[in-house]
Formats: sequence, structure tokens, C-alpha cells
Amino acid sequence: MSSAAACTVPGPQRVKWGENMLRAFLAIWIGRLVALLFRWLKRGGTSLPGYLALKIDPQLMGRLTSRYEKVIIVTGTNGKTTTTNLLASILRAAGLKVVHNSEGANMPAGVATALLARRGEVAVLEVDEGTLGLVTRQVKADMVIITNLLRDQLDRYHELEQLAAAISRALAAIPAATLVLNADDSLVTSLSQVRENVHYFGLARTPWSQATTSEVLEGHICPRCRRPLQFNFYHYSHLGNYYCPQCSYSRPPADYEARELELSSAGARFDLVYPAGKLALRTPMPGIYNVYNVLAAASAALLLKIDPATIARVVATFLPGQGRAETFSLRDKRLTLMLVKNPTGLSVALKTLTAGRGKATYLLAINDLAADGRDVSWLWDADISPLLQAPYHRIICAGLRAGDMALCLKYQGVKEADLKVIPGQEESVDFLLGEPVDEGLILCTYTNLALYRRILKARGAVSEVTPLPSLSGTP
Amino acid sequence: MKLRLCHLYPELLNLYGDRGNVLILRRRAEWRGIEVEVTPISLGDKLDPKAYDLFFLGGGPDQEQGVASADLVAKGPWLKEAVEAGAALLAICGGYQLLGEYYRTSTGETLPGVGLFAVYTEAGNKRLKGNIAIQVEELGTDRPVIGFENHGGRTFLKGARPLGRVIYGDGNNGTDQTEGARYRNAIGTYLHGPLLSKNPHLADYLLRLALQRRYGEVELPPLDDTLELAVNEAVYRRFLPTKGKW
Repeated sequence: MSSAAACTVPGPQRVKWGENMLRAFLAIWIGRLVALLFRWLKRGGTSLPGYLALKIDPQLMGRLTSRYEKVIIVTGTNGKTTTTNLLASILRAAGLKVVHNSEGANMPAGVATALLARRGEVAVLEVDEGTLGLVTRQVKADMVIITNLLRDQLDRYHELEQLAAAISRALAAIPAATLVLNADDSLVTSLSQVRENVHYFGLARTPWSQATTSEVLEGHICPRCRRPLQFNFYHYSHLGNYYCPQCSYSRPPADYEARELELSSAGARFDLVYPAGKLALRTPMPGIYNVYNVLAAASAALLLKIDPATIARVVATFLPGQGRAETFSLRDKRLTLMLVKNPTGLSVALKTLTAGRGKATYLLAINDLAADGRDVSWLWDADISPLLQAPYHRIICAGLRAGDMALCLKYQGVKEADLKVIPGQEESVDFLLGEPVDEGLILCTYTNLALYRRILKARGAVSEVTPLPSLSGTP
Repeated sequence: MKLRLCHLYPELLNLYGDRGNVLILRRRAEWRGIEVEVTPISLGDKLDPKAYDLFFLGGGPDQEQGVASADLVAKGPWLKEAVEAGAALLAICGGYQLLGEYYRTSTGETLPGVGLFAVYTEAGNKRLKGNIAIQVEELGTDRPVIGFENHGGRTFLKGARPLGRVIYGDGNNGTDQTEGARYRNAIGTYLHGPLLSKNPHLADYLLRLALQRRYGEVELPPLDDTLELAVNEAVYRRFLPTKGKW
């Protein structure tokens, strides 16, 4: 498969700065002008400059990155934005001039927008896993980090194996790139192909590892011989320690392994054991999925020969950016806003948010626009048992698919009296603010995230997250 | 009263929240005091045709479906025997395709199916995906059955009766306005995911089919379906094409 695919994909086009000068200059300056215009209008967070620039010069990403010392791509289903932002922060703290797309704008237009904004020595680019091929066709990346491959917006990317095949083709276009792969994900390790420069990160058995799992699984099939895989234990979703009883395929030994993990609502700590030593890491980000994000970013930084003490220092204070899990205070309430975009994301978000929490009202805002995924069947693939066991006061369902969410909860055991269906986003927030509890937890799909943030701000919510240096760099 | 439900390949054919249907059937039976026993049957397991009232078969990712299909074809005669004896069955998307006569791949290869439904499927280029609504005569109501479809294969009826007529969406093949297939008390459909959640009329119809073999005509006490029906109506109206309307 992979060898045949390699023949059909054009290799990286080494774009020289001299070629097509006029087109490139035009693209860059029009892009920058549009970006400037948006800054004057105080409308950030758009990919329009990159979109226009790519229309003028489709090879722009290759041209702009060709003069970087290092280009690092972060891709996968979940954890891309946090991993990208953390790695960029570590590299900046080490004194490097870093450019990265910090706002999760990870389609080609977003990548180009970030590259247009400034010049740097190192580019850390979050790239959408479905369009990786469009980027690697022109960007000669030095390193690709793949966080995980989980069930996501299936109406866009179909089944995961097809996505894995597309990523495999995209990687074939950059044969010299170092791959930094999640050893615990059999779908990710199947991408290692026959390459020498592959490094694995993974998580050793923890007290939370389970022999079986109630979460719906992907990746049960051996990528080599197509027989069912067996698991010694699971961490979450299909991530864990797997082996094939038929052939010798199994979880590769992790070159960068997290051991002695301790998890709490205040974060996590673990030892990162790597070929040249051991690094104790402490992160304020809770949840096992953030352990993987820290592990991915720290492993990449060690591979880039960054001083371990610098890595530990940045990890110890780094908090995720906008909306990934943001806390606000508004009137008498503490409100947490969090993005959920697929079943695994919803499962781990609920597990993390409900842990040790008292009585709270939960608001689940589900949309089905193109960026959310048109098909909301995935709600039924999530493990919502942590929510069912939590002392919730009420669960509000909002958004275009409020009804679908409510039905999913009803059949899983939430009493209808505890459910409130309010499709309108404004109205749902007003209802939440009238609840007789101190805490509100808002989980929303992609297109609801910015909307809820705006609604909360308009009502006077104050963000408790102090802006991080990693987020101030990109316009 | 007891409903014996067989969930086929639950760990392999579990795409798009299909398993939600098993939960919905269980709840709607239990709310009426009917005991429910769910038995997972997977690779290599024996299938006793007399042991179940209702079979459920979901769709799966390509690789998983490939692994399940060979095993399912081997179990085919048992499954057919059960349906001939009156058992009910719901097969979704990939599961529906596997129960047809064959699947012809894009390279022209013919993969045999179980042959329960007199239908065949051919690989297509563009995936047929989006919201769909169909009219199902047997339900005895104007209320449509709504859902979401996402399939590359085009299924054609070779004598089988369709489950319903397409109001909007693509259905079996995007051309002949048919959706799904019926054979005795078996239903095959492309409406995937938690289909039964927004279609309580279809869920109860299936429960009645499943129970009638052992208990005769069963009168199911009504449930409070206000939420279900409101969602059915809202989603149905939201995606009604407006083309050709004033």
C-alpha cells in the first residue's frame, strides 16, 4: 500500500525564493495588508489573509517555510492546539524565534495566515489531519508529531483507516522528516512505515489503566495482518498497550515514556524517561489527555535538544488558551467553557470536569454546522457515565441539536425533570445564570465556542486565565 | 414478558453511535415492564436461531466490517432460519449491505452477502450523506422516519420490498426514491446512528414485531414521547428542501 502510494504522490517541491517572485511578493503583501486591515478593525482570528494569499500564490506555504531552520508539524485528532501552543512556548523560552498558528486555525489558509504575520527561525504548525497532504506537498517539514487518531467528524473524513491512509500518503511526501508518534495508538504507529527516524512517546501502566473499556473503540484491527488486536490495558479510548496474537505487531517500546503518573484535579505529575535521562514534569492541566499533550510537546523539545530544565519550567506554568478549558467569573458564578468536538473529547471532558466537583449545572451546546460535523450521531459514542454519576443540579441542552443531546441523555438515564432544552444560545446562558448553584460548566462544539465566549463577555464575564506569552505572539 | 435481543459484533460494528439503538429498545421495553436480555454474539460464536426475538446489526469501519463479513456469511443460514421463524431484525448501513446478496467493489470484485434481503450493492464514487426523511407505510402514521445517512455503496432492490419512500435525502441509491429493505420481520436501512431515538414510532413497531412471535399481538402501553416527537418534527422541518416552494 504505502509503496504504491509513494509513487503517486509528488515529492516535496523545493520552492526557491527566486521563482515567481512577483506572484509571491503580491501574495505576501496583499495578505499582510488584509491582516493589517483586520487588526485596525479589531477583528482577529480570521484566516482570510492566508486564504487570499494562497489564491494568488498556491505555493506560498512552501515558499515562506523554505527559509526556516526547522519546520515542525503537529497533527492528529485531539490535542493538536494544546501541543502546538506548549511546544511553541517551550521553544520561545529557549530563546528561539517561533512562529505558530496559536488559535487552532489549522487549515491551509490558517497556516498561511500565521506564516505571513512574521518571520522566524522555527515554525510550529498545527495542521488539520484531513488536509495534511495539501501542506506536506509544499512544506518540507523537519518533524511531524502525531497526537492520536480518534473517531472525529466522520461525515468529513469517513472512517479512520481511510484517514490513516491519507496521512500515510502525506508523510510519504516528506521522507526525511522525523516522526514523533504516539506509541499507545495502534492507528498512529501504523504510520511509521519503513523509516529510520521514528521516535515514540507513550504512557506506562497507571493506577487508572483498565483491563476492559466501556468507551466505543476504534483501532481493534492489527494494521499488519488485519486480525483483531488484544489489549493488556487501556488508558482511554483505544489508547493503551496492545498486541496482535497472530503476528508480532505490538505497541512499540516508547523512547519517551511517562511513568509514575499522578493525576489530580489540580493537574498531573510524572517522570519522563528518555534515552539520555529522566525528567520530572508537573503540569497544572488536569486530565489524562493533557498528559499526552505534555508528553508529545516535551518529547519533541528533547529531540530538538532543548535544555530539560527549560522544558520543565514552561510545562509547570503552561495553561491552555482560549476556550480549551477557560474559566470565568460572572455575577455569583464560576463558569467553565470547554470545547468538545468528538466522542473521546466529550468523554474525557466529562471525566475531568466532574472529578471531585460539587453541585453544578451543566450546559451542553451542540451544533451541526460544517465545522462541527453535520452528523451528531457521535454523541451516542461518548461515555457520559461520569456525568450521570456527578451531583448535577440540572443539564441544559442548547444549540441547533439541543434535542438530539437531550434524547441521548434521557435514554442513558437522566430524568426529564433534570433536563432543560433551550436551543437558543443567549437564552440558555440566561437560564444558567438563574440557576441556584455556584458553578456552571459549558461544553460546546466548535461553532458554539466563540459564540458562548462572546455571550459571556457581553454579560460582563471576567476570564480567570491570564494571557500567556504563547498566545500574544500571533495576531 | 421477556425480550431476548442479540447484538451482533457489538465491538466491531459500532460506527456512528449505532449501539444507541440497543439501549433505546431496552429502555422502551423496560419502561413497560418487559424484561430485556441482551446477548453479544461475535467472531466465532455459535448463533442459536431459536434463542432470540430480535437481532441488531450495526455498521462498521471498512477494516472491521471486512473482518465481520466473513464470519457473518458463515452464520448466515442460522440468521435466515431465525428470520424465517419470525424473529425481528434491524440492520443498519454496513450491516444492511452485508445481509444483501452481494457487494460489488469499485474494482469489480463481487463479495457474497448473507442473501437475507433480495438486494445488491455496488460501490459508488461520491458518498451519499446528509439528513434524510422517509415515509414508512407500515407505521400507519404520516409522521416521517428521520435520520442521517453516509454511505458510498448504492443498493438496488432485486425483488425486496423497500422499508420506505424517500421524502428528502438519497436512500438506497439516490435515484429510485426507495430506502432500505424488508423481508418478513427484518428491516435493513441506511439511516444510521441512534435512528430509534428520534423515531419512537419505528422503535415500538420493532418491539411489537419482536414480541409477536412468542406472545402474539402485543399492546404496548403508550409512553411520554413529547420530547422524541418534538425533536422528530423540528429536525424534519429544518431540513425540508424549500426549492419549488413559494
